[in-house]
Amino acid sequence: MFRQSLLKTLTVLAILAAAIAYTFTTGYFGKELVIEAATLAILAISLDMIAGYGGMISLCHGAIFGVGAYTYAGLTVLFEVNPFLAFAAAIVVSAAFAFAVGAVTARTHGIFFIMATLAFGQMAYVLVFENKALGGDDGLAGVPRLDVSPLGLDFNNSVQFALFAVAAAALSYAAAAWVLRSGFGRTLVGIRVNEARMKAVGLTVWRTKAIAFAISGALAGLGGAIAAQQTMFVSPELMAWMVSGTVLMVVIFGGIGTLVGPIVGAVVWVFLKHEISSATPYWHIVAGTVLIITIVAGGRGLYGQIEYMVERRRLKRLAAAGVPSTATGREDETHA
Amino acid sequence: MSDWSYWAVQTLNGLQLSMLLFLLSVGLTVIFGLLHFVNLAHGALYALGAYIGISAATATGSYWAGFAAAPVVVALTGILLYLGLMKRMRRAGPMNQVLVTLGLIFVFVDIFRLVWGDIAIGTVEPALFTGRSELFGVVYPTYRLFIIGLGALVMAVLALVLSRTQLGAMIRAGVDNDQMAACLGVNVEKIFFLVFCVGCALAGLAGAVAAPVFSAHPDMGTEILISTLIVVVVGGMGSLRGAIAGSFLVGFAQTFGTVLLPHVASLLIYALLALVLVFRPTGLFPARA
Repeated sequence: MFRQSLLKTLTVLAILAAAIAYTFTTGYFGKELVIEAATLAILAISLDMIAGYGGMISLCHGAIFGVGAYTYAGLTVLFEVNPFLAFAAAIVVSAAFAFAVGAVTARTHGIFFIMATLAFGQMAYVLVFENKALGGDDGLAGVPRLDVSPLGLDFNNSVQFALFAVAAAALSYAAAAWVLRSGFGRTLVGIRVNEARMKAVGLTVWRTKAIAFAISGALAGLGGAIAAQQTMFVSPELMAWMVSGTVLMVVIFGGIGTLVGPIVGAVVWVFLKHEISSATPYWHIVAGTVLIITIVAGGRGLYGQIEYMVERRRLKRLAAAGVPSTATGREDETHA
Repeated sequence: MSDWSYWAVQTLNGLQLSMLLFLLSVGLTVIFGLLHFVNLAHGALYALGAYIGISAATATGSYWAGFAAAPVVVALTGILLYLGLMKRMRRAGPMNQVLVTLGLIFVFVDIFRLVWGDIAIGTVEPALFTGRSELFGVVYPTYRLFIIGLGALVMAVLALVLSRTQLGAMIRAGVDNDQMAACLGVNVEKIFFLVFCVGCALAGLAGAVAAPVFSAHPDMGTEILISTLIVVVVGGMGSLRGAIAGSFLVGFAQTFGTVLLPHVASLLIYALLALVLVFRPTGLFPARA
């Protein structure tokens, strides 16, 4: 179950403050890294919602992210639609695509679910790759950024655009936390913990799963639409299955099922990748080793491990004070 | 080239791809079925087989040295991975297994780049099977016929071992119900280990055999991995029949899709996978009903 603990609030605020301070002090390239970390964080939050809390390990989140990016890019470049409209459309179309995937795959579990999501993600990838109107494997260039001149702002200014991306990431966290705290969020966790029981108490499981997928897809699409504006270019590479694999790695690295962990994971990932890539071309060997160590060490991840230790101390303190364990909101949760 | 021989060549192409996919997927599917282990690094083992095959062939000047060395080296690598990593991930659930082996893919790809470089490297076909063969007016590369023959041979041997020997009966019992098999005195752990080694060796063999046709490059394992996983899931995990059916379905769908519907060819196998998963969530011929 999701609980907006003090530790979560403090960590999010600290990262937010650091991101804003860094944006104002760093050079052009640093701002690009901030934007990259912000979009990756949005995508990772979106995946953690359904993977960490809903127990659905999706390997099509890269594709949903790409659907968002392509919807924004296609509408603005090919049809010259107002960027704000295209931005909204990107979120809606991604959510609809995710809803369809979630509805169709709701019956499958475990490795079959992972494979089914992979199949749908790859289908989207192939369709885009083979579509000449969308530029095929060359992609689409000349994607405009949102025109915010009526507000006296300019998103071609990299400070303003970086702050916009950071704000979007913060809002995504707030939205995801709000959903997970609601009755719907508890229902979703209920499905992960015991799907058969949720069915027995009368829940239409597939609908809950599909709606959760749609909400997660809307966030992923938001991230995609921002990523398309950052590089002003989209290519099918955004949707390749290894992107989904990478996002999953980021979520695990930060701490799955913590919602804050994915943000920590995304920030550390982007900056670590930048540092290591500038020293050696073999970044993947580091990333792979770090992932393997994270899993073998218990799979809690960077932030997850800290939260686990803090939470354990809190429970001990409560137990010492004589509060029954059922009142502490803890349940036996496993991320199988 | 006549119309008839064109389609005959395409059929042979389909057969050749199917056999390659079979060599890869049979190990993966039995590891899935017996160990309940999701090994995404299987594709990396295939790539390792290709590289070892090429290096051994270059060092000795004989294709057959690579053909013999690849399965052995890959099986030994598999044993190291199993003892060091996978054994402790046995009960960790599919997600952790997917992630650990995903991490292994990353590590392997960079090791390939470190040792063999970024550029694709090729090798020559064995002298025995170079050139082209002609049969009923159909001209086809001899080496590819060799791949088809080798695949058929492995298929036949595995089918015989699984259905006619005591070892095969023990493997089937382990797939069906490992705890019950253990109660009846089968050393399930030992069988698991043996099956894992054979699966890795076959992946290495597939790599060595594929090297002269598709040259070896760091991403070759990741590229074939998806097709292999589709074979395994479409066929149903843990069964030889499933691996055979899945290999032929995917191999022919890919080959004829490219010829008949070039734009949606790669879509075809994903659509096949999605259809099977939606209507038969455990595959066509699952080992356990």
